[in-house]
Amino acid sequence: MLSLRIAVRFLRKSPWQSILIAAGIAVGIGVQVFLGSLITSLQASLVDQTIGNSPQLIVQAQQDGQPVSFTPQLEHAMKAQSEITTVVPTRTYSGIFRSGAKNAPLQFTGGALDKLDTIYDISGRLVAGKASLAAGEVIVGKDFADTYGLKPGAAATFVLPSGKPATLTVSGVFDFGSAAANSATAFVNGDQAATVLGLQGDQYTAVDAQVKDVFSSKQVASALRTEPALNGLKVTEWQAQNSDLLSALKSQSSSSYMIQFFVLVAVALGIASTLAISAVQKTRQIGILKAMGMKDRQSGRIFLWQALILGVSGAAVGVAAGLGLIALFTFLGRNSTSLFPITPQVGFVVISFVVGVLVAVGSSLIPSRRTKKLDPIEVIQGG
Amino acid sequence: MAEVLVHAEEIGKTYGTVVKTVALHEVSFEIEAGEFASVIGQSGSGKSTLLNLIGLLDTPTTGRIVLNGHDATAANRKQRAALRNDFVGFVFQFHYLLPEFSVLENVLMPGRIAGEAPSVLVPRAEENLALLGLEGLEKKNANDLSGGQKQRVAIARALMNRPALVLADEPTGNLDTGNSRAVYKLFREINEELGTAFIVVTHDRSVAQQTDRILEISDGALVQDVRNEYAMPRG
Repeated sequence: MLSLRIAVRFLRKSPWQSILIAAGIAVGIGVQVFLGSLITSLQASLVDQTIGNSPQLIVQAQQDGQPVSFTPQLEHAMKAQSEITTVVPTRTYSGIFRSGAKNAPLQFTGGALDKLDTIYDISGRLVAGKASLAAGEVIVGKDFADTYGLKPGAAATFVLPSGKPATLTVSGVFDFGSAAANSATAFVNGDQAATVLGLQGDQYTAVDAQVKDVFSSKQVASALRTEPALNGLKVTEWQAQNSDLLSALKSQSSSSYMIQFFVLVAVALGIASTLAISAVQKTRQIGILKAMGMKDRQSGRIFLWQALILGVSGAAVGVAAGLGLIALFTFLGRNSTSLFPITPQVGFVVISFVVGVLVAVGSSLIPSRRTKKLDPIEVIQGG
Repeated sequence: MAEVLVHAEEIGKTYGTVVKTVALHEVSFEIEAGEFASVIGQSGSGKSTLLNLIGLLDTPTTGRIVLNGHDATAANRKQRAALRNDFVGFVFQFHYLLPEFSVLENVLMPGRIAGEAPSVLVPRAEENLALLGLEGLEKKNANDLSGGQKQRVAIARALMNRPALVLADEPTGNLDTGNSRAVYKLFREINEELGTAFIVVTHDRSVAQQTDRILEISDGALVQDVRNEYAMPRG
């Protein structure tokens, strides 16, 4: 491995030049790792905040207002989809909260608390009171409770769809992190909701479900539509309802890819120009090596080795720097509700490292080619 | 009859395509194994061009060079590089040592290019350094030596692969008289001890007088080929 030995010596002879090239690669890959992870995590956070605690698939009757019979066949058909993680039948109705002269509309979702928790995580998001949905109890949102001064144990009167009033006891207060959800959503006992809506034991207004990969909802919905157990039912999924969010996520991804691409182009140009300068600086040495019988390919490999060494070391430092930045970002945001956690994806980090090395090696092709073509007589005659 | 090491047959060199400059006219000669010859001539006469052609550093525009039985004219770049590595050692006016490497590593370089094992190379390199009076300097950087020492390291390097032929182009051009004399004394000793043929290019007639054969170049033509002080006018 004479080419490798010479490459190492050339690099060690100009340590600052070598460090600067490696630093250039490190900065590029560090930015790549940090920015890529940031955007991925931001999107995951946005998606999670938007639909993480809401149904991603909803099965309803074709006609509005008609109930869905949650039969064992329907449950089995839905759970048979490997992507579906939870299936929760719910009974939903609208009501109006009355407090003196003030009126506030509320959407009541009725169901078993342990089932509702698998989608909404009510128990996990409780900020006051207890997680309980016994008959006559209601769990309300934080903004709603704050606006109307409702504390756990307080009685609240609601006007039901039938026009009749009903008084419920506030058992707990949740915080979904969204003012809209916190002021307009409430949860009640499933049987109580059935009574309000006049539904039988297996009748529900909808069957909600969540999926492992939120972006698989389209495929899962399509598959469900072909199930005989879902005949006469309609399946809606979150992506069809959130096209603006999807469009924003795609735009964000595109701009992220563009930034990463241009960072890599800048890194590649930097390495290529520095290696080209290095090749010129070492022309005399290459010429004399060739005069002594070094073959063209062997001499060309010197700069490929240099690029590989610089690429591997620079990319390794870059990955470490990117992960360090992520750790710093996470540390600074540990007590902040406005910052989101960045989770580096192992696959993405590995790809970034490989891309860094490939960009470096690719950048050495021109100096390597130049070295291969060098004729020893050019150096010998030049003195 | 001694083995023919270099067979130069009507070799010529012309530079340029639009404006043509003839550096060497059709020159023919042979160098035998173990010969100690010099090429003499004024600056710009074509003697270095001749040496570069024999050493396969440059390609002739016309003619044919056979080196140690191999027709170099028909060889490609890779084959020419292999022939240089196997049969030729170079000593230039400028030592051309690699500043990134130590004295020992510089001397080892032709052997490493040939891909020989360090266990074979290192004792030979040390032997060369001892022959040239450079013991103790193995680990020094090539840049830390005096001019005379550098040139001796270059000679040790030229001898590394035990070449049949050493080409020396003004090897003492940058040395003082004492060092110059020492270098030529070394060349002669190596020639006698190892049987290595030498072709020394010089513009100094007193240097040429120390060699067994003098080829004189003038305006790109071989005008004299003198052996053992007996001039043999050509043409």
